[in-house]
Amino acid sequence: MIKTEKVLHLKSSRGRKVRVVREHYLRELVPCYSSLCQAESEGKVLSADVTHYVVPDAGVTRDFMEILEFREIQGLVFTQTACQAVQHSRGRRQYNRLRSLLKDPRHDCVLFANEFQEYSYCPREKGEPQDKWQTRCVYQAAVWYHDHLAGLKPVVMITEDQGAVAEYSSLNCGVYVLSTLEYLRTFWPELQAAHELYGSIAQALRERGNEGTEREFAEHLPAEVLEAGIKSGRYTQGTLNVNKHRAQHEAFVRFDGSSNKNSELDSDVLVWGGKNRNRAVHGDMVAVELLPKGEWRGRTTALTEGQGEEKGEESQGQPMPTGRVVGILQRNWRDYVVTFPPREETQSQGRNSLRILATPWDQRIPKIRISTHQADTLQDHRVIVRLDSWDSTSLYPNGHSVRVLGRAGELETEVQTILIENCIHIAPFSEAQLREMPASSPERPWTVDPAEVVTRRDLRDTHLVFSIDPRGCEDVDDTLSVRSLPPGPQGPRLELGVHIADVTHFVKEGTLTDLEARARATTYYLADRRYDMLPAVLSADVCSLLGGVDRYAMSVMWDLDAQTLQVNRVWYGRTLIRSSYQLYYEQAQALLNGEEAEVPELDHKLSHLIEALETLTQVARHLRAQRDQGGALELEGVEVRAQLDEDKNITALVPRQPLEVHETVAECMIYANHWVARKIQERFPQQALLRHHPPPRQEFFTQLQDSARALGFTIDTRSNKALADSLDQAVDPQDPLVNRLLRVMATQAMSNALYFSTGACPVDQYYHYGLALDRYTHFTSPIRRYADVIVHRLLTAAIAVEEGARPAKASASNKELEEMAQHINNKNRAAQHAQKVSMELFQCLYFRDKDPETAECCDAVIYAIRTNGVLVFIPQYGLKGALYLRNREGQVVRVSQDGRCVWEAGSLQRSLDHVSTTTASGTSTFRLFQHVTVRVSVQTSRCHADTLHLELVSNRAHRAPEPPDRTPRAAPPQGTRGRSQLVQEVVRQAEEALLQAEEKKGRVSELSKEEREFRQSKTPNLYSLLEEVREQALLDLTASARTCATSA
Amino acid sequence: MAGLELLSDQGYRLDGRKATELRKVQARMGVFAQADGSAYIEQGNTKALAVVYGPHEVRMSRSKTLHDRAVINCQYSMATFSTAERKRRPHGDRKSTEMSLHLKQTFEAAVLTNLYPRSQIDIYVKILQSDGGNYSACVNAATLAVIDAGIPMRDYVCACTAGFVDETPLADLCHAEESGGGTSLALALLPRGGHIALLQMDARLHQDHLETLMEAAMTACKGVSKVLDQVVRQHLQEVSALTGE
Repeated sequence: MIKTEKVLHLKSSRGRKVRVVREHYLRELVPCYSSLCQAESEGKVLSADVTHYVVPDAGVTRDFMEILEFREIQGLVFTQTACQAVQHSRGRRQYNRLRSLLKDPRHDCVLFANEFQEYSYCPREKGEPQDKWQTRCVYQAAVWYHDHLAGLKPVVMITEDQGAVAEYSSLNCGVYVLSTLEYLRTFWPELQAAHELYGSIAQALRERGNEGTEREFAEHLPAEVLEAGIKSGRYTQGTLNVNKHRAQHEAFVRFDGSSNKNSELDSDVLVWGGKNRNRAVHGDMVAVELLPKGEWRGRTTALTEGQGEEKGEESQGQPMPTGRVVGILQRNWRDYVVTFPPREETQSQGRNSLRILATPWDQRIPKIRISTHQADTLQDHRVIVRLDSWDSTSLYPNGHSVRVLGRAGELETEVQTILIENCIHIAPFSEAQLREMPASSPERPWTVDPAEVVTRRDLRDTHLVFSIDPRGCEDVDDTLSVRSLPPGPQGPRLELGVHIADVTHFVKEGTLTDLEARARATTYYLADRRYDMLPAVLSADVCSLLGGVDRYAMSVMWDLDAQTLQVNRVWYGRTLIRSSYQLYYEQAQALLNGEEAEVPELDHKLSHLIEALETLTQVARHLRAQRDQGGALELEGVEVRAQLDEDKNITALVPRQPLEVHETVAECMIYANHWVARKIQERFPQQALLRHHPPPRQEFFTQLQDSARALGFTIDTRSNKALADSLDQAVDPQDPLVNRLLRVMATQAMSNALYFSTGACPVDQYYHYGLALDRYTHFTSPIRRYADVIVHRLLTAAIAVEEGARPAKASASNKELEEMAQHINNKNRAAQHAQKVSMELFQCLYFRDKDPETAECCDAVIYAIRTNGVLVFIPQYGLKGALYLRNREGQVVRVSQDGRCVWEAGSLQRSLDHVSTTTASGTSTFRLFQHVTVRVSVQTSRCHADTLHLELVSNRAHRAPEPPDRTPRAAPPQGTRGRSQLVQEVVRQAEEALLQAEEKKGRVSELSKEEREFRQSKTPNLYSLLEEVREQALLDLTASARTCATSA
Repeated sequence: MAGLELLSDQGYRLDGRKATELRKVQARMGVFAQADGSAYIEQGNTKALAVVYGPHEVRMSRSKTLHDRAVINCQYSMATFSTAERKRRPHGDRKSTEMSLHLKQTFEAAVLTNLYPRSQIDIYVKILQSDGGNYSACVNAATLAVIDAGIPMRDYVCACTAGFVDETPLADLCHAEESGGGTSLALALLPRGGHIALLQMDARLHQDHLETLMEAAMTACKGVSKVLDQVVRQHLQEVSALTGE
C-alpha cells in the first residue's frame, strides 16, 4: 500500500475555511469485477459477452441516472469518483438508489474503486475545477480498465462535457469518449424509451438551469441580522399561530410582551399565504417584517367547511397589520402524528419514489415528506414523525417516522394520538419508583407509624371528619369537618376544618416518584380513562382519605365567630384523621334536603353529620356572598360527561349537573386555598407559588357586548363586579339559555388562571379576577396536581420556620419556582386540551354509533353570526358548532312555510343581530338567540379527527316529545329538590342582604357608591330563575322541564 | 446525518483502507540526547513525541513518595498547531488531564515499578499532529521512549482504537471516522500475555458486539506490537553498530 495525502478545503462549523489533510491509501490490487480478468473476484461480475464497457462520468451519473437504470444497457462500470459526486450533490436518496442499482443482480453494472487503485488515481492539481478533475479521473479509470483487460474490450466513456469529448477522444485507441446523446444514437438506436427519457431529463435540466436560483421560498436572514433588526424595531418577534380552519393561508404572529418594541402594534400580525409564512410551522418563534399599509388585509370572517375554498369575493374584516416572516428564531417542532396516504395516492407520486407526503393530524401543520420503505405496510396507519428540515427549495418539510401508533380510526390509536399531539408522554411507573412506595395490600393494609403519630395533632376522636366527592371517586384528597367550640368572649364559636391528604409525607422532594410527578404535573383525565400523577398505591390508597381508616392529613382550621363568621384564629398543621363518612354529592344533597339516603348509622354520628352539613352549607353561603360582593364571577363552562357501559360504549352524553353541595365543597376549598396562599405569601414574599387570574382584555368582550345588545341588554365589563352584576341582569324570562350563553361567552373572553412565583410578579397582579380574591393558590388536591404538592412543602416550611426550626432545605428560589410554574401551566393547558379533544372524540363516537337515518335532531341556539352561517349551541349535549347557511355551490338555505329547509340559489345578508337568506321564493331570517332544530352527524376524516357536522332541519325550536330515557338525570326528583334549591337560594340572598345592611351601618366599606347601588338591585341568579320559569309554566310543560334539566 | 460513508459496499474505508488494515506506522527512538529516553511515532497523520526522565528521586511533594515502588508521572499535551484549526490549549484542561491519567494507569500496569522504590519516572507526551487515535499514538510512543530509557517493562504496551460501523469492526480509526458518530474503543494491550492494560469506550454499544470489537482491537494491537518490535530491533542494531565499533 502506498500512502499519499489528500488536501481538502472544507468549511468549519463556524464558517471559516479549514485546511483538512486526509490520508489516502492506494493499492495495486483493486478488483475490476470483470469476468475477463484473470484474477478471481467475488460478487457480481460484468459479463464478457457485451460489445463494449461503458463508463459514465460524474455529470452523467448525477443527472441521467434514470437512463442508466435501463436494463438493456449492459456492461456499466460506475467509478467511485462518479458515485461520490452523486452522494455530495444529490444527497442520500439518490445515492441509495445508485447503491441498490449496483446490488441488483439483474443489472449488469459494477463499481470500480478507481481512486484507491495505484495507477488509475490522479491527484487533483492546484486550481483545477472539481468537475474537470472528476472527468479526468473517470477518463483515467476508463483507460486503466481498458489496459487492465489487455484491450480485450473497447471502453466507452460518456460525458456531457463537450470539451472533454474533444480533449480525450483521440488520446488512446480502444477508449472512446462520447456524449450521452451520441452514445444512445450509436449503440441503442432502437431503445426509444431511453431517447424520450433523455429528452425530458435534458429539458428539465435546462429549465432548472433557467430558474435554478428561483426558490420556493425566500431565504431566511442570518441570526445576527435578525437580532439587530429586532433590537432596532424593524422586525418583530413572536410566536406563529396558524388558523386551524384556514391553515393554508392564514396565520397570526402573537407577540410575547417584553420583546415588542413596536408599541403601536397591540394586536397580532397577520401572515397571509404560504410564501409570506416562509416555512415557519405552527408554534415556531419567528421574526416578522411588516408589509406596507397598502398590502394589509383583514382576517377572513366566513366560516369554512373543512378544506372548502370560498368562491368569489372573499369576505374580510378590517385590514390589520400584515407581515411576512423573515427568519425563524427558534423552531418549535415536536412530534407530530401523521397518516400515510392509501396506496393509490402513493403510486401517483412515482413508482420508484420512496418519499411520501403524509398528512399530519393537526391541520395547522403542513404535509410532511417522509422517505420510508414501509409505505405499503403503513398506509392508513397513524405514525409519529419528526421534522428534519425544510429547505427553501422545497414546498414541504422533510421528516422521518419514529413510531407507529396503529390503524387510523381505532379508539386506542386515537387516544394515543391525542396524547402525543398534546405532548403528553406517559410511561408506566417504573420498578424503582414503585419501590419507594409504602407497602399496602388488601391483606395487610398500611397502618400509621406510632412515631409519626406523636408529632401530629390527633383529630381522630375529637372531630367528625367526612368527605364529599363524585360517586366512585378513589382519590379522596379533601375532607371537611365542622364543630362548635366553647363560646369565647365575643360569643359562640365555630371551628371549620379542611383536611387535605398529606402527600408530601410520602413523596419526599427529589425522589423518583417526585420527579415523575413533577414531569407529569397533573393527573390527566380523558373521557374514558385517566393517567395518575402518583402511583395507584398512593393516590387510591395510602394518601386517599378513605372512610374509616387512619390517614395523615395537612389541615387548615379556622376558629370562626358563629354569628358573623369572623376569623378569630387560623391553625395550620399536620394531623391524623379518620374520615367517618365518605359521601358522594348526590347523597350529601339528599341528606341536606332531608331525604332518605343510604348512609349507614355510625355510632349515632348521622345526626351530627347532618348537622355539620347544614352548618357547612350556611358557612359556604356566607363565604360565597362575601366573594360575590367582591365581584366573583359565576361562569359557565359547558361540561359534558360520557356515560360508558361495561364495554366502553357510550350510552349517553350527560351535561354535568350542579348541586348546591358542589358549591359548598368548592367554597370551602377556595377558602382553604386562599388562607394558605396568604400564609405562604407572608412567610415567603419572594418565592411562594400562587395562582392568579389576570383581568381579561376589554376587546375580547366585543362579541359578548354585541350579542347582548342585540337582545337589549348592556354588559358592563369594566370590572369583575360590574360584569357579574350585568350578567345577572341579562336574563330573558322567556329563554333561560340566553343568560347561560352570555356567561359562556364571558368565560371565553377570559384568559386562563395561571400559577406564578410571587417574586416574578408585582403584588397588584396577584389578584384572582374570577374568584375576586387578592391571593389564591392551589392546596386542596395534592394527589392530582403537582402545584399543590409544592404548596404543601411551602406550607410545611412556613410552619417549621414559625416554630423556630431552621428549614431543613432551602426552598426553591424564585427563578426555579417560576420555571416550575411555567411547566405546570403548560402541562395543565395540555391536559385540558387533551381532555377536550378526547371528549370531542367521544362525542363523535356517540353520534357515529347512532343511525344516520334517524339522526339526532335537537334544539340549538344561535349565539353568533358569521358571513356565511351561524354558530350554534346545543344545550342537550353541551355542543357548540358552526351551521352553514350557504353551501359550496353558493346555494343558501330557505325556510319554507312549514318550517322545512330547502337549499336554493340566493344571497345571504349579514347584519349585527341577524342573518337573512334571500332566494327567488322568499326570505328567511335567523336571529341571534333564536332556537332552531339541527341534525347532528359525523363527518369522518381520514387524516384528522372526526368532526361533528350540523345541518339545519327547521328554524323552530325542537319540540319532539322526549322519550323519558333520553336525559337520564332529568326530572324525577325535581319537585322536591327544586323547591329546596329555591329555599336555599332565598336564604343565601337574605344572607347577602343582611351583610349589605350591616356594611351600610357604618362598617368600613371598600366598595364604591356605585357598586353599592348595584348590590341593591341584585337579581336572583340562575337557579331560582329557572325554577320560577318552570313553576310559572310559561312554556309548555314538557319543553320547559327539558330545558331546565339540560341547563340546570 | 453527515453524508460520509465510513465503509463502502466494496469494503473500503474513507481513506482506502480495508476494515482490518492499520494506518502506516513509522517510528524512531532516541530522538533527543538530553532525555533519558525519547521516541517519535507517526500513525498515519497522527504524530506524537514522547520523552522519559528517570527513574530519579521524587521531585514532586515528598508525601507522594511510595516506599515499595516508583511513582509514574505522566503529562499529555497537544500542540496548538496539531489540529486543522489552530487553538490555544491551556495546560491541564479537562481532556488532557484525563488523558494523562489514562497514560499513568497504563504504564503503572506495564513498568516494573517495584524495582525502583522511592523514585519517580516522568513521561511527557506531546501530540504534534492529531488525526484520530491520540491515545494509542501516545502509548506507543511512550513505550518506545521507556524502552529507550532502559526501564524494564513486563512487555511492550501497544495501543490501538477500534470502531464499529455497519456491524463491522474497523481497526485504527482516523479522525473522520472517530468524529463520524460511531463507537470508538481504545485498548492498551500487553501482547505477549494478552493482558489488557487499559480499555476505554465512551459510546454505546450492544453487548453482543463487544466481543468482536475487542477481538479486532486486540488483533490491531498485536499488529502494532510487531511494528514496534521491529523499530526497537532496528534501533538496537544501529546503536550497537555505532558503539560496538
